[in-house]
Amino acid sequence: MELRYNPLTDEWVIVSAETQKRPVQPSKVECPICPGGLELPEEYDLVSFENRFPSLKRNPPEVDWKEMGPFRRERSFGVCEVVVYTSDHNTALPGMPLQQIEKLVDMWVDRTRDLSGYDFVRYVFIFENRGKEVGASLPHPHGQIYAFPFLPKRIEVKIEAMRKWYEEKRRCVVCEVLESEGEERKVYENEGFLALVPFYARFPYEVHIYPKRHVSTLLEFSKKERRDFAEILKIVTMKYDKLFEQEFPYMMMFFQAPFNTESVDHFFHFHVEFNPPKRDKDKLKWMASVETGTWTFINPVVPEEAAKRLRETEVVL
Amino acid sequence: MHVFGRAFQEGNFVLKEKSYVLEYTVERIHLGWKVTGTVRGRPGRVEVFREGAPERLLVNNWQSWGPCRVVRVRDYVPPDRIDPDWQYTASVFPEQLTKGLQSDYFVASEGKVLGFLSSRIAHPFFFVENGELVAYMDFFEANFEEPVPIEPFVILEDPNTSLLLERYAELVGEENNARRRTKAVVGWCSWYHYFLDLTWDEVVKNLKLAKDYPFEVFQIDDGYEADIGDWLNVKEGFPDLETVARVIGEHGFAPGIWTAPFSVSETSRLYLEHPDWVVRENGEPKMAYRNWKRRIYALDLTREDVRGWLWELFSTLKRIGFRYFKIDFLFAGAIPGERSRNVTPVQALRMGLETIRNAVEDAFVLGCGSPLLPAVGFVDGMRIGPDTAPFWGDRVPDIGAPAAKWALRNAITRYFMHDKLWLNDPDCLILRSEKNELSPQERRLYAFLSGVLDGLMIVSDDLEFVDIEGRKVLEETLKLHGGKPRVLNVLNEKLAYEIVSFGARSGNVKMYVDLEKRTFNLEVDDGLSIRRKTVERGDGRKFHFYEGVRGDDGTQVQPTDR
Repeated sequence: MELRYNPLTDEWVIVSAETQKRPVQPSKVECPICPGGLELPEEYDLVSFENRFPSLKRNPPEVDWKEMGPFRRERSFGVCEVVVYTSDHNTALPGMPLQQIEKLVDMWVDRTRDLSGYDFVRYVFIFENRGKEVGASLPHPHGQIYAFPFLPKRIEVKIEAMRKWYEEKRRCVVCEVLESEGEERKVYENEGFLALVPFYARFPYEVHIYPKRHVSTLLEFSKKERRDFAEILKIVTMKYDKLFEQEFPYMMMFFQAPFNTESVDHFFHFHVEFNPPKRDKDKLKWMASVETGTWTFINPVVPEEAAKRLRETEVVL
Repeated sequence: MHVFGRAFQEGNFVLKEKSYVLEYTVERIHLGWKVTGTVRGRPGRVEVFREGAPERLLVNNWQSWGPCRVVRVRDYVPPDRIDPDWQYTASVFPEQLTKGLQSDYFVASEGKVLGFLSSRIAHPFFFVENGELVAYMDFFEANFEEPVPIEPFVILEDPNTSLLLERYAELVGEENNARRRTKAVVGWCSWYHYFLDLTWDEVVKNLKLAKDYPFEVFQIDDGYEADIGDWLNVKEGFPDLETVARVIGEHGFAPGIWTAPFSVSETSRLYLEHPDWVVRENGEPKMAYRNWKRRIYALDLTREDVRGWLWELFSTLKRIGFRYFKIDFLFAGAIPGERSRNVTPVQALRMGLETIRNAVEDAFVLGCGSPLLPAVGFVDGMRIGPDTAPFWGDRVPDIGAPAAKWALRNAITRYFMHDKLWLNDPDCLILRSEKNELSPQERRLYAFLSGVLDGLMIVSDDLEFVDIEGRKVLEETLKLHGGKPRVLNVLNEKLAYEIVSFGARSGNVKMYVDLEKRTFNLEVDDGLSIRRKTVERGDGRKFHFYEGVRGDDGTQVQPTDR
């Protein structure tokens, strides 16, 4: 288990044979995160625990060399947690009671605060892979948190883009987007947040959630914002499920400002990205060569159309 | 706007003067520009930057106790005289303070911060001359045969001045490889109750009482030692320091000790045995300051034997069990004068600081009475204001003398240094209900503001006199800790500040403080509505169990357990 540096792309790769051992799609009786299961023999409401098969560890193994010619490697400091949303195996974000999602949001806030307290942590990445189409290994409702010891490449790209915008305009780019958005791409909004298919969506039915106030991390959310955030997450995921009348797979990712490094709070705006692989009820949009190799996305669904469909998909809380 | 006498422009330049050559680069950085370079020869005092002075300036004194305050430039009246007993606390160049407005290291005005990123060799400062704000680096008498780096200088611009100050601090931290501790210290210190009347019996009494407090550190302050400089010799009634450290440790606290390591009293054994170890002027020992009713000299930190003694002192203190070192009156190490080696006073100070850091290794070092920029990278914590006091101090002049009011003002105006240069020490909380002129409201104001600003939390009381109300104030204060503070109106002149802190243990916090009226208003956003219980499994993995809590109980997430 170690970090390896790729000098061709200036990025770190996590090499971890441990992750190969993760169970894939076990049945309910074997679910390791149900109460009574391998990981959680006790009753619980919500829990976040360090992954048995981690990519990063608080006490990672030593590396016997760090630099040899063009090759560099480092110990893989970090924390990988499994975030179990509820003890109920047969539900998911859209079906969970709002109150449970509110507790989940509070848990994410506390996990962020706790993990950012490790001095080796630079980035706290909260995410959920839902559905086997995006590689979820357990059906029990859960997400994950990676507390990285470095800034992952795409985070760096986001930071630099937002920095550039700020330097040119002395404004946060997301604040400016929020001011410029109207009804056309809106999916849902409440007092604190806007959910939209962004003008620059890469995936069909990609949805972003932006807090209306300029905040850079979950830690800055007010109590009201935490409640509004829970609500909008539930609404968006309910709309997803209703869209094709099926459990809608997605990658849900929270982007917050880094910790224990240069402060970017003034230009980095917290946001959520839902990257769903579906382009239609029975069709998937693959991360194929162009997307993976060049980071250039070809979106087959016009964002305004996707937004209209999602907006008009009615759900009741 | 001129840099090294030339109209401001990005690029690489060479400045050739009679006695020195300076090569420099002006480059763009985030939110502004940075000037770096090298100098060779005998530069003396070099003008770095010049522009029209703004109407209002946040000006900063060079060391911990000195004021950091907003001044209306046109109305500024320099003091008639500087107290010769304390002249070097006022400035490394005390004589020029009577001539005009000076700021050390940085200045801030609406939408702009100008600042030096280090003070490794030179002393960098600003002076207002004929309506112009001029930045200088003073290399004293040093002569450099080979090029040495100049102190980098930045010009930062943004409508948000608080952001600029934070950015400036971040750059200073990076430049000096600041020591970063993610967790502030909570502890006890003897000074503000016992002052010089500390006895071993009182130490032991407080150790027993301290068991009921969330203290990690228990620090004896000035009052245990035989004389200034004779740190390993204790005064009558105290056991040897090894016993002191052991007894503190046995009570479950990290033992802490105060010293003034670069100071030596005229009556001390150290001075009598080594009169040649001190900084001189015209060949005679030079008084650094007068205190404890004695002349205090400054150790010549450029001497190897002095540094050997210093290393031995601190490694002994570490070996016998001390883990927290409050090092005070550090400005003495940087007074101008004759030393055995031809280095600047700033370099001499840093040689001393480096020696202490090497001796104590990774133990916690709290600087005090210290020149600010030269200490970055050596200390873990830093006092950023004058001594507090068991009184408010409305009539105490704003010149670094002890007063709760001015200690708090500096804690506010230097808030941005926290967690970037070091952990800020706003000075001790005084919570006792007796032998204390601070009203309950003033005690709460001091404590809560210190909590919101997230610095060190050191209580300084005879704990016998801390009643239930005092305990409650400490409890509430610790809940305000852990956030990311920002003073929104740092440039205001009325000592009325609006401070926000995101992510404190109790939630997001807003605090309005009026130091003139001695009032405050604290708004705490409701905390999280969950409770955490962390369990470590046999394989070492941590499991964090959460459950909901109702209403006001929603702040019960435990502080991080590291």
